[in-house]
Amino acid sequence: MNKIMSEARLVSNFRYPIYQRGNPQLRVFLPNFWMKIVKPHLKQLPNIVHFQCSIEMTKHDIKNYLEKIYNVPVTDVRTKINMGKFRRDVGKGYIVKDEDIKYAYVTLPKNMKFEYPKLFSEKNTAEEDDMKSLDEAKKTFKSYLERNKDRSDVPSWFSI
Amino acid sequence: MNIIRLHRTIPKLKHVLNRRSSQAAVLEQNEYTENPEYPPIMDMSLQSRKLRERETVYEKIKQLKTIEEKQIALNMPRYYGFECVMLTEDKVPYNAMPLVQCYTRTHFIPQDKLPDLYTETTPAAESVVAEIKSLVEDAIAIEHEGIKHNFAPITGKSMEEQKENALAKHIVRQINRIISNNLSEKVPHILSAQVDYDPRHEAFWFVGGVDPSRKVIRARSQYKWLKSKLLEPKDRAVQYLGTPMLALRSHLPLRPLMPYSEATNPDFKVAKFTYVPQNVGYKPTTRHATNIPGFWPGDYDEFGLLSYHGRSHILARKQSFGPEDDLEALHCQAMKSSFGWLLAQASYQGFTTYNDLTYPLTTQTVITNGQLWSLYSYQLNTVVMHNEQIDKNPKHNVCFGTQPMKLFETIENGNVKGLNEEVLKMLVQFYMNVPEKRDHDMKPYLGKEEQVVADIEDDKRRCWLEDVYKHLVSNRPKHLLVPELYLWEKIYKIQFNTRFFEKKRRPFELGIQPYSRKLNEHLPPYIPKILRPYPKAKKKFETTYYPDV
Repeated sequence: MNKIMSEARLVSNFRYPIYQRGNPQLRVFLPNFWMKIVKPHLKQLPNIVHFQCSIEMTKHDIKNYLEKIYNVPVTDVRTKINMGKFRRDVGKGYIVKDEDIKYAYVTLPKNMKFEYPKLFSEKNTAEEDDMKSLDEAKKTFKSYLERNKDRSDVPSWFSI
Repeated sequence: MNIIRLHRTIPKLKHVLNRRSSQAAVLEQNEYTENPEYPPIMDMSLQSRKLRERETVYEKIKQLKTIEEKQIALNMPRYYGFECVMLTEDKVPYNAMPLVQCYTRTHFIPQDKLPDLYTETTPAAESVVAEIKSLVEDAIAIEHEGIKHNFAPITGKSMEEQKENALAKHIVRQINRIISNNLSEKVPHILSAQVDYDPRHEAFWFVGGVDPSRKVIRARSQYKWLKSKLLEPKDRAVQYLGTPMLALRSHLPLRPLMPYSEATNPDFKVAKFTYVPQNVGYKPTTRHATNIPGFWPGDYDEFGLLSYHGRSHILARKQSFGPEDDLEALHCQAMKSSFGWLLAQASYQGFTTYNDLTYPLTTQTVITNGQLWSLYSYQLNTVVMHNEQIDKNPKHNVCFGTQPMKLFETIENGNVKGLNEEVLKMLVQFYMNVPEKRDHDMKPYLGKEEQVVADIEDDKRRCWLEDVYKHLVSNRPKHLLVPELYLWEKIYKIQFNTRFFEKKRRPFELGIQPYSRKLNEHLPPYIPKILRPYPKAKKKFETTYYPDV
């Protein structure tokens, strides 16, 4: 009797994959997991990296994702879900909410460093600005000469 | 206790008896002087005006006479309590050393043996160890195998942790009993020392130079005059909570490990940790500031000798942190608990996070699970590190610490194998460190006659202050909770003004900021007409005695 009971329990505990329509019935599970490195909002320790990720990912998923796919050593993961922003719908005027975002703060070993890359080239330096204004001045002077080439003896302040 | 109370009242009586006939003070008639006397020229910029305001508050706190009033004064700015960074002894995040060192301003010195102060007691300790060795072995063996201990399990901690802590607690109590019994004849301070089981150690202080959080930056960006100061560093309130397994304290303070002049030694400088603590894994909690060294103000034995702490939190740490970080976590625990206990003791001597210590205080800390023992000795030199002082204050605290050492190897057939006498000797040396009377004034910022609220003669004031102090440090929630801002209100009233036609009645619409409410901003208890003094008294509300800061 006992044996039958235990077998029955075994069977009932066995998990079948969720039925999906169509063939093949045996499929490779590819979860909709993604992670995106983001720039930290505040100054951050060099061994902590900020990610946005799929809201379904747990801490274990995040750790495995980084370790198994990208070979990144992970010491600790902290996650939080930030509420999406509220905004007025452009055409309709009522208030709508954006999707929530899951943030993952991944701690690397303390001797490692990560710096968020500079995605855009830095703003123009002062020298470049000077050259630009000089070019501008040259251009306006040229157009001035062009305008007045047939009345060379008229002073500059004399114009319409 | 009664003798102490009597001892306090005698000087007061003397004062009354010696009082001379009073004279009206003669006014200085001549208001002209030889040389013109101008008032000092002051910087009238917003920043320096605010700084002067704060400095007057610090000065007022310094002038308060009793311990309890000073503690209430610290709490005066916040009715609902401060938003505190919580440092607990049994939760150490990864790579915690830089933050803990900066927040406790502690230079850590790893060592294999005890500091030089202890060398003089080495021979005496060796003979004591020879006497107690077999007793200690028996006690450890019995606690491990002879007794089945029951304990009430709590949620939030694994059974493994709780078991280790429970066993460690029993072993520590046994070893403390054995050493105290042996030493009470040899060193007199052990006999009179107080033993606290699971005392309440809490400490509160401000740390400056911390980057502002996003919330603060958002709040600052509302104001035009703060636009240029968005990222200026800020004070953070820090609260330490700890419960040692056992603590010893005595009437006299321990001798300093090094002369007080060493406190300004530039070698002890600690790197600043400016990152927002939430980013490193500390969750802030709103609560009142409490400074409690395991006893209430007015106790006779007010200086710590030794405290024992558990180390079961190491079991709960992740494997990925590694053994090196676990060792650092122990050092962090020692620094936090030693600093916390000493700061609480210092606050009972009249010092606060705004008024610095005038002499060093010392304590000894043991972290153990029964088998592994690490010993720390700590010297507190300074407690002032708020925003104005964090860069100016040259003083630092010092902590000496050992690695965890095995007291014994194994237990086989009810016998302890391989007892490490060196560890036991160091522990005995901690007990043999004799506290001494100091030459200087221990309580320069407390009153001469009134040092605790119990000394106040006015019955109403004394009872009122006592009640308020005990209520504050109990940290029970307020009778009326903080007015809530519902999410729908935030969306439809604050972020988007969609309900402009409604009457503005909610606190946030009336410009009330609950978290900046002062402690004394409430109606005092009402006196019913029948209880007012006869014939006519118009006083409707009872008097409050909040310190004026």
